[in-house]
Amino acid sequence: MTVEIQSNDFIALADIALRNPDLQHAVAAGTRGGYQKRAETMFAHSREHGEHMRQQAAEAKRRALRNLPDLLETAERNLSANGWQVEWAEDAAEANRLVLDIARRHKVQTVAKSKSMLTEELGLNHALEAADLRVVETDLGEYIIQLNDETPSHIVAPVMHKTKAEIRDIFIRELGMEPTDDAEAMVAFARKMLRHDFLNADMGISGGNFLIAETGSVGLVMNEGNGRMCTSMPRVHIALVGIEKIVETVEDYATLTQVLPSSSTGQKLTVYTNILNGPRRADEDDGPQHSYVILVDNGRSQIYGTDYAEALTCIRCGACQNACPVYRSTGGHAYGWVYGGPIGAVLTPLFVGLENAQPLPHASSLCGSCKQVCPVDIDLPRMLLDLRWELVRDGHSKTGWDAAMKAWAIGMTSPRRFALGGATARAGQHIMGEYLPGILGNWTKHRDFPDFAPKPFRRLWKERNNDRA
Amino acid sequence: MTARDRILNRLRANVGAANLGARPTSADRRHMIPLLEMDAEERLALFTREAEQLGGFVYQLDANEAVEQIMDLLEGDRRVLSWDDDQLPIAGLRKIFDSLGVAIAAPGDGDVRVGITGVTAALAATGSLVLESGAGRPRGASLLPDRHIALMTAAQLHKDLEDWGAAQKARGCPAFREASNTVIVTGPSKTADIGHQLVKGAHGPRELHILILPG
Repeated sequence: MTVEIQSNDFIALADIALRNPDLQHAVAAGTRGGYQKRAETMFAHSREHGEHMRQQAAEAKRRALRNLPDLLETAERNLSANGWQVEWAEDAAEANRLVLDIARRHKVQTVAKSKSMLTEELGLNHALEAADLRVVETDLGEYIIQLNDETPSHIVAPVMHKTKAEIRDIFIRELGMEPTDDAEAMVAFARKMLRHDFLNADMGISGGNFLIAETGSVGLVMNEGNGRMCTSMPRVHIALVGIEKIVETVEDYATLTQVLPSSSTGQKLTVYTNILNGPRRADEDDGPQHSYVILVDNGRSQIYGTDYAEALTCIRCGACQNACPVYRSTGGHAYGWVYGGPIGAVLTPLFVGLENAQPLPHASSLCGSCKQVCPVDIDLPRMLLDLRWELVRDGHSKTGWDAAMKAWAIGMTSPRRFALGGATARAGQHIMGEYLPGILGNWTKHRDFPDFAPKPFRRLWKERNNDRA
Repeated sequence: MTARDRILNRLRANVGAANLGARPTSADRRHMIPLLEMDAEERLALFTREAEQLGGFVYQLDANEAVEQIMDLLEGDRRVLSWDDDQLPIAGLRKIFDSLGVAIAAPGDGDVRVGITGVTAALAATGSLVLESGAGRPRGASLLPDRHIALMTAAQLHKDLEDWGAAQKARGCPAFREASNTVIVTGPSKTADIGHQLVKGAHGPRELHILILPG
């Protein structure tokens, strides 16, 4: 069971988002906050320190990927030594089936789940619910998303697109909360609702931010503590980890588990930086009795051999989403699949096929902000351009666009034709006002068209030279 | 062939073809610029500043004062979640609790308001506490209660995560192998999911009290 792909409807979905004032307000506040806090934290000691840390993180991920198959085998050995049971899944169907098998083996009825983008890729919740298991998302944002039957719109802040008032209404409607506008009271209410589930769930499911090959550990970051609950309280724990999450050493882990929160929420470390090393030992009073790691491929090994392998170094911090002028305007749902923003515009075509995500490589102004804030220095603009090139090569470019580019080339290759074009445009704007006609109207639907300068540069230049003469 | 073999074979067929960007492929690593060296006093000051900035409460006390502080924080409660006596830097705390009528609740009891733990290390640069699970060190004591009281000594302070990692490596990484779970706690539990407003006490403790004892 896979997630619905609507990425070819990007333009229509973006249009809906641009007309939603609540979403505009919420996404602007969320992305702006993340963007500012990142800069403050990354460079808290000095710009040089932050930049080195970022380069070191980039190196660590690339070194790991260069040796990916060997490191996966090392990790498997060390995971087993730590008491994990290791399974491998090639695709979503296999991963979901493995989870269901484990659930049946341990007679599981209720699952407490901590936030995982990989499980969104897999459509895991639907698969479990279809098998009559009760699944509770326990990250507050994911809990709200689940109550409202939505999908996350941001990698680290799944409910970034909702205002406090909207969330209040969801709690009142779905859970009968006493009306309140106080965020603290709403958090306390959710804490109480979920506490019961933590203590009574049979199985916890988490993702994994890092898989440390050297020691056989799963690194997990969180602020709320729900992930600690899911991985400590139920008697069974499953960590679903993408095969690209591997890091070689404890030192690499130390670097990456710092640049991740620095880049996403502007924290030096998350409140809970969790290192999971398998089931509780014989002399321990709590912790899971059975611990599983499922190593999930789901298309990653295909991307590995391509020009886009660099995208596999992504540590899912969301910094590129916070920095992107397109994401800041549309939010994440417009991208039509699991991942939004610049990294989503690259990953989605790679995971679901370029033909199913044609508008996404164009959903970028190529301003380069995404690359600049990326903690592992992924060249997102380069990959967006390469994907655009593939679209043209495969005949997916629109004929209207081709004609427009030809007309532009004709205009730009002769000074006389250029001057004529400028004069026409100035006259045209005089007549049309601020809205452009026909297909050009898409440009002015959601933004102002700037006035042309009353005198073109060519005339100013000529006058300047005449004055001097 | 198993899924494992198919995945590994596909990767092996492409090792070297993967385009990881124009970067040096040499094994030499660019090391991070280490933070300035600091003495024990500066380290303690940095830890205190960072932990307080995150909303934690930091106290420097002797053992007697620490017991008083704990009783104050109990606010009349007669049950606590706690690590075992020999895991805490106050000798005979269990006996003191007995004499004051405070009982230790079963691990996993979700209705207790205060949890008491030691730490296995602390990190100055981030104001963090490192807690390794193990015999007498249940995870729930630092997770389930509303109020977490952590007892530590200044000698347990490392400069930063890198320093702690190096110390781990020198000892064979016990926090990654022997402990089934290691958590690095940096401030009280929090969330900003509702209206981008920071709220403490999402699922873990709302309050974090760090008692630093001599030694």
